[in-house]
Amino acid sequence: MPVDGSLGLILPEIVLAAAGMVVLAAGLTWRQSRLPGVLAILGIAASAAVLVNRVWGQTAEIWSGTVMVDGYANLFKAIFLAVAAMTVLVSLDYVHRNRLPAGEFYLLLLLATVGMMFMTGSLNLLTIYLGLECLSLASYSLSGMLRKSPRSTEAALKYILIGAVSSGIVLFGMSLLFGVAGSTHLRDIAQALAHNGSLAPVLVAGMMFLIAGLGVKMAAVPFHMWAPDVYHGSPAPVAAFLITASEAAAFGAALRIFLVGLPALADEWRTVFIVLAVISMTVGNITAILQTNMRRMLAYSAVAQAGYIMVGLAVASDRAVSAMLYYLMGYAFMTIGAFAVVILLGRQHPSEEISDFKGLGQRAPFFALALTIFLLSLIGIPPTAGFFGKFYLIQAAVGADLTWLAVVMMINSIISIPYYWGVVRTMYLREADDKAPLPAPAGLRWAAVIGVLGTLALGLFPDTFVQIVSAVQVVPAWISMAF
Amino acid sequence: MPGMPIHGYLVLSAILFVIGLAGVLVRRSPLVMLMSIELMWGAAALLFLTFARQWGTMAGHVFSFLIIVVGAAEAAIGLALIVLIFRTRDAADVDDVRALRG
Repeated sequence: MPVDGSLGLILPEIVLAAAGMVVLAAGLTWRQSRLPGVLAILGIAASAAVLVNRVWGQTAEIWSGTVMVDGYANLFKAIFLAVAAMTVLVSLDYVHRNRLPAGEFYLLLLLATVGMMFMTGSLNLLTIYLGLECLSLASYSLSGMLRKSPRSTEAALKYILIGAVSSGIVLFGMSLLFGVAGSTHLRDIAQALAHNGSLAPVLVAGMMFLIAGLGVKMAAVPFHMWAPDVYHGSPAPVAAFLITASEAAAFGAALRIFLVGLPALADEWRTVFIVLAVISMTVGNITAILQTNMRRMLAYSAVAQAGYIMVGLAVASDRAVSAMLYYLMGYAFMTIGAFAVVILLGRQHPSEEISDFKGLGQRAPFFALALTIFLLSLIGIPPTAGFFGKFYLIQAAVGADLTWLAVVMMINSIISIPYYWGVVRTMYLREADDKAPLPAPAGLRWAAVIGVLGTLALGLFPDTFVQIVSAVQVVPAWISMAF
Repeated sequence: MPGMPIHGYLVLSAILFVIGLAGVLVRRSPLVMLMSIELMWGAAALLFLTFARQWGTMAGHVFSFLIIVVGAAEAAIGLALIVLIFRTRDAADVDDVRALRG
């Protein structure tokens, strides 16, 4: 197998999985130590080093077309590794304090990351499905990690039931596509449809199943019912991980499936995504206003953000795709950063109500400032990542004659101002009952710093990052030439 | 399979899928819901096998094997979670759900 060097192309994944095993062994040997977390960070760093040195810039499809290595896949791998690293940083103190089994926790986190890397790194439905399951199975266990907390176990049960139903729906859709094309490769599915238009009804049915199944992972309305409960009940670092990485992976896989496999049905799926985008952002934003709990508020805000990102999928032009990728990068930084502040506060106020944030401006000035930046970015105020992300998405929508969609997006951004800004006001204008400064563990501080730097870097040098994301192709060149 | 037309399998698979989905939506016991979900997965696996036979390719066989493997892993995690939930609640709750299992 390694004769043609193909094993080297998935070395980042191999390194990450091997690191997971080392972390597990370390966790079993030294139960109460922070070593597993440190090893997890080192494993992620090693994987990133391999990605940059050995795999970056290569394009190849290996192993009978089951794994695709190209710029698009590598960009997503980089995003996932960054998210995983930040999640480990915010977990270090949390895992220790709540006496979670560290070895298992970080192992599952790394395996979920491996699953996401395969999910976006393939043009074959088989690998996409396996990656999705690798991610899902790990995240079900992760969300139930607080074994003594009824909230956490309930979240895990809800997540696995809804997740398994969505997998069943995805599978049924994939089997219909396979039935039409006789192959699980997206290129063959596209060709089968191009040569025989009468197959369209079966493919439309398969497409609807896929949209419903992936919609659950993206937490798009009306498939979002699990999201607030899971993001509220599961351990906070896990919620931060799922809310960003899992959503990004679902969008990454969806872009590939629909743009490569079903370009002939573009009119159909674009219409569906436009509808989903509009209701997701509207329902998400309006429900978020009503929340009093910080994590539930962030959960509904994630539903709304999924709606914004879906605008890119609905427009599906080159420009829209790069806007989506840019937004996903920024979204990862700002959301995990915001969760770092939530976790810091959760050390003293386990209920994590928005009113618990009062006086944070005096108690932890740096974290309050960081959270302000993240929330401004989520609203979409310059010079943050969120502003340019929304700006590019709106630009793409207008360019595709969907001006009304851009207007809906802008109105939604305005609707979202009160609930984000409400948190900022609580932090600075209301006096805390207990004015003692909040002690901050180093991991949380680092995560917040990285989040701020990422959010501001994306916002201050948008052109650099747009160049990076517009260099990648969702549809590999050799596939578009085949038609 | 000689004698049986392909749409027989397609209809069977669709029926299984709908029964599974209805089971998830109607029943409230997590155990029965997991079983219904397995039915949905089984429907998809059957569909893959049917099409694999029709096309004469191994891809569908491989896919359905993987569905079975992943389904087993999913069931393991699901059952572990259900046991965990029974443990954190009082005994009456466990009895209720045991009654439903029969």
